[in-house]
Amino acid sequence: MASISSDKRFLHPAALARISRLELRARHVVEGFLSGMHQSPYHGQSVEFAVHREYTPGDDLRHVDWKVWAKQDRFYVKQFEEETNLRLALLVDVSASMQYGSGPLTKYEYACTLAVSLAHLALRQQDAVGCLAFDEAVRVKTPLSARHNHLETIIHALAASNPAQKTSLTEILEQAGDAYPRRGMMVLISDLLADRQGLMKGLRDLRQRGHDVLVLHILDDDELDFPFTGPTRFEGLETQQTLTCNPRALRDGYLAALGEFLGEVRRGCASNMIDYALVRTSQPLDAALAAFLSNRLGMHHRNHP
Amino acid sequence: MTAFVHPALLWGLGLIAAPILIHLINLWRHRRVRWAAMDFLLESRKKNQRWVLLRQLLLLAARIAAVALVVLMLAQPLVAPRMGAWLGSARTHHVVLLDDSYSMSDRWAETSGFARAREVIARIAEQAAGRGGSQTLTLLRFSRAGKLADGRAADLLSVPLDAGLAGRLRELLASIAPSETAAGPAMALETAGRLLADGPQENRVLYVVSDFRANEWREPGDVRDALAAWQGAQAQIQFVQCVPSLHDNLGIVSLAPQAGTRAAGVPFFIEVAVQNFGRQVARDIAVLLQEDGHARPSLVIDEIAAGAVEARRVLVNFPTAGDHVVTASLENDVVAADNVRHALVTLPLGVGVLVVDGDELSRDGRFLSLALAPGGNVRTGVEPRLETPQFLADSPLDPFAVIYVMNAAQLEPRAVAALEKFAKAGGGVAFFVGPQSDAKAINEQLYRDGQGLFPAPLGTETPLFVDRLERTPDLQVTDHPIFRVFAGERNSFLQTVVIDRYFGLREREDTVLPAETKVLAKLRNGAPLALERKFGAGRVVAFLTTAGPAWNNWGRNPSYVVAMLELQSYLAPAAAADGERQVGAPLVLPIDRARYSADVKFTVPGVDGDTLVAAAANAAGGGQSATLVETPRAGIYEAQLHTTDGQNQVRRFALNVVPAEGNLALVDGRQLKAALPDVPFEFHRADDRVWSAPNLAGFNLSSSLLWLLVVLLVGEQLLAYAASYHPASSGGAR
Repeated sequence: MASISSDKRFLHPAALARISRLELRARHVVEGFLSGMHQSPYHGQSVEFAVHREYTPGDDLRHVDWKVWAKQDRFYVKQFEEETNLRLALLVDVSASMQYGSGPLTKYEYACTLAVSLAHLALRQQDAVGCLAFDEAVRVKTPLSARHNHLETIIHALAASNPAQKTSLTEILEQAGDAYPRRGMMVLISDLLADRQGLMKGLRDLRQRGHDVLVLHILDDDELDFPFTGPTRFEGLETQQTLTCNPRALRDGYLAALGEFLGEVRRGCASNMIDYALVRTSQPLDAALAAFLSNRLGMHHRNHP
Repeated sequence: MTAFVHPALLWGLGLIAAPILIHLINLWRHRRVRWAAMDFLLESRKKNQRWVLLRQLLLLAARIAAVALVVLMLAQPLVAPRMGAWLGSARTHHVVLLDDSYSMSDRWAETSGFARAREVIARIAEQAAGRGGSQTLTLLRFSRAGKLADGRAADLLSVPLDAGLAGRLRELLASIAPSETAAGPAMALETAGRLLADGPQENRVLYVVSDFRANEWREPGDVRDALAAWQGAQAQIQFVQCVPSLHDNLGIVSLAPQAGTRAAGVPFFIEVAVQNFGRQVARDIAVLLQEDGHARPSLVIDEIAAGAVEARRVLVNFPTAGDHVVTASLENDVVAADNVRHALVTLPLGVGVLVVDGDELSRDGRFLSLALAPGGNVRTGVEPRLETPQFLADSPLDPFAVIYVMNAAQLEPRAVAALEKFAKAGGGVAFFVGPQSDAKAINEQLYRDGQGLFPAPLGTETPLFVDRLERTPDLQVTDHPIFRVFAGERNSFLQTVVIDRYFGLREREDTVLPAETKVLAKLRNGAPLALERKFGAGRVVAFLTTAGPAWNNWGRNPSYVVAMLELQSYLAPAAAADGERQVGAPLVLPIDRARYSADVKFTVPGVDGDTLVAAAANAAGGGQSATLVETPRAGIYEAQLHTTDGQNQVRRFALNVVPAEGNLALVDGRQLKAALPDVPFEFHRADDRVWSAPNLAGFNLSSSLLWLLVVLLVGEQLLAYAASYHPASSGGAR
């Protein structure tokens, strides 16, 4: 029972219930292997008519539009949009820096819960989900699967221990691209506290491979507001560096540096058509997810009226 | 050279280590946070490190400086203001004028104005001594200032000021008590100025250590002149007020025997007046009275409004002749000196009265004498002597207090002259007319067109023609001391007096009386019956009917005796002869060298009822008078005179405090500034902590340091704010 309950620790039924009405929709076309609710690069059997095309030898005679032939004496082939299912790859940062938390949840716990919720959502709509937990290297990788019991595999994969520091995200993202080669949706859940150049390069590469990339940037309130007062000794979670200071004196500089970083990430994502959201761990999980997904859905409809 | 008022406090400078220690403790006593976003922190530090360090150092320096300033401010540094002091060449002379008038004995909360003054002076001396350099001190009491002309010295005069003196000064001050005088500052200022007039070139600091009562300082005309002289001599003027606020005080402002016959065994009235100098209504004030030291039932005054005077009359009676002392006292309040007042009453065995009757049988004279001295158990104190008009011309009239002249036909010119001399000197004269009176002679001899002592010219003798059935009284009196005793009686015996005959006034003056003449009583037909005028210091009363029952039935009426005794009281020389002697004023006793030797010994009241024998008085003015210069206390003073035939005589004097000094109203610095607009002075309060005793010919820097401290603390706060040591209101990265 204990193992089950620990297995379920990233499952928040209430939050799941609240997001159950949402849909996870790919913003770009994805190459699924089952018919589903996402736009596919292939034309196939579907109820969604796409376009007429002149018949060329080899086309399936079933798709010739006989009504048009009767009127015009020409062969036209009806093409339909194929709808396929989604391959959702969750890239979850489980490194040491994610262990920080001032509220009830650490960033790590928050990220995992977010990932599991997304996985649940995807599985519910028949989409395939894979998960990749990483710190300095890929620690666990689960294959893409649309089976319902795949959720438990993902939960197990996320329950990593002994986190290490992360150095460069480039390699991780490259490995993720290799691990899930077909076009799908890549969701990176991390605090992004790593080499910025590598991060942007990795994200850009994923986009270039045709993936729909989402970045959920998890940060704690303390990290965003820096409310510390009084003499404090800061000890790095991922480095051995320490700093004893009066936090008030450094607050403005810190916030400026953080603001610059956030701006850079935001701009980089925007320029690469990557959806980016900054999530505070103090935000209710369902609300954060709902806001993010409905926002995306809106964009989706704008892109495909 | 910078000196400090409280050098011992400089040890407090060690406290400047406190901010450093706090800083170090803060470094050690930090919180540990395991932090993910170290990069940003490190970046922030790299950017801000220099500024943060600089600001922290500045902040630390500001806090150290603030602590140092607080310590310095409390230690009160003094710097000499003048170039002379910097060069160490000039002398500084501290002239302290100490108010020792009795209002300085004002007590409150375990201390008194004078105790404060002692403290202030000791502080002045100690701090001056602590400064080193050439300094001298002069101490002069207000009450002694006037006496210095008589060859007495100030308590201290230009004494070099060193640590030894500062110690001795405390003993000296402890031996000085406030006097009971009301000595003001003007005399002291003038005297001190005169004493130091031909002194060497020096910086002078004048301290007036006083309570600054409103009655002396609100309109300080003579003080202003005296201060102007000091100001002209470039002296620094410091006023130190030793009393913080007005305290309620009651004082006996007068104790005076009332007019009336005074003799052994005759009761007389003495009036005691109490003034409430406070701001609140005083209730149930008990006035204790003593007759020759024996307590008698005390008098209770129900209520005295703030600032008001309430007077009460008390009947006192001394059975024996001689000097008697009446003492009135109040219960103790803040100022003791004005709670006691003495009155000295000298009672003769009897008051000699001369009754001169022109009639051979002296019927009227006997009648009057009997009324004045009925004999038996009744003592009136009046001793009448019946004589013929010839006595006026032949005998000295000095032994008599009052002379009654009645029914006299014509007086000898010598007699008239003697009478006029007697009246001018303050004696009382009463005239009654009668069958033998000659209007013409009276008009020519005694009236002399208003030059003589008779109040009005007479006309002719007339019967009073009236309807006897009409129930109007013949005698109608005015509100006059003689008849006041009958006032308010509904059926006075006076109403039954019947006047048959009288002398009318001369035709011309019937309607218009001489200006100085007053009508005391009239007949029912409007004709004046009793007249009065002042003649010299004496009073003259004329009744225009007989003294006996020849022309009227008054002599048989009970009101006659009462009216005649009142007449006697009224005419007897006023009690003002006793005089009011004040504490502090020299006691001058004229000596008749024919009868007394120049050797006079004074006995002076001491503390707690003791008496002291004063040094032989200085017989000045060619030995014609003896003077006691020092009269510092209220009480009964005695002078022993030696007659040339070897007998001793004692004269007594009652000296009382000046009541106005009991008014404890104060002036404050602002009012003083208004009263002395042209005099640059500094006004301090003795209990003012910021004021370290004197500016000792130097500036006390503490107030400047205070301002500096305020500026520094504001700067520290701004700096601390800039260094982000104050919680920010909101913010954060989005």
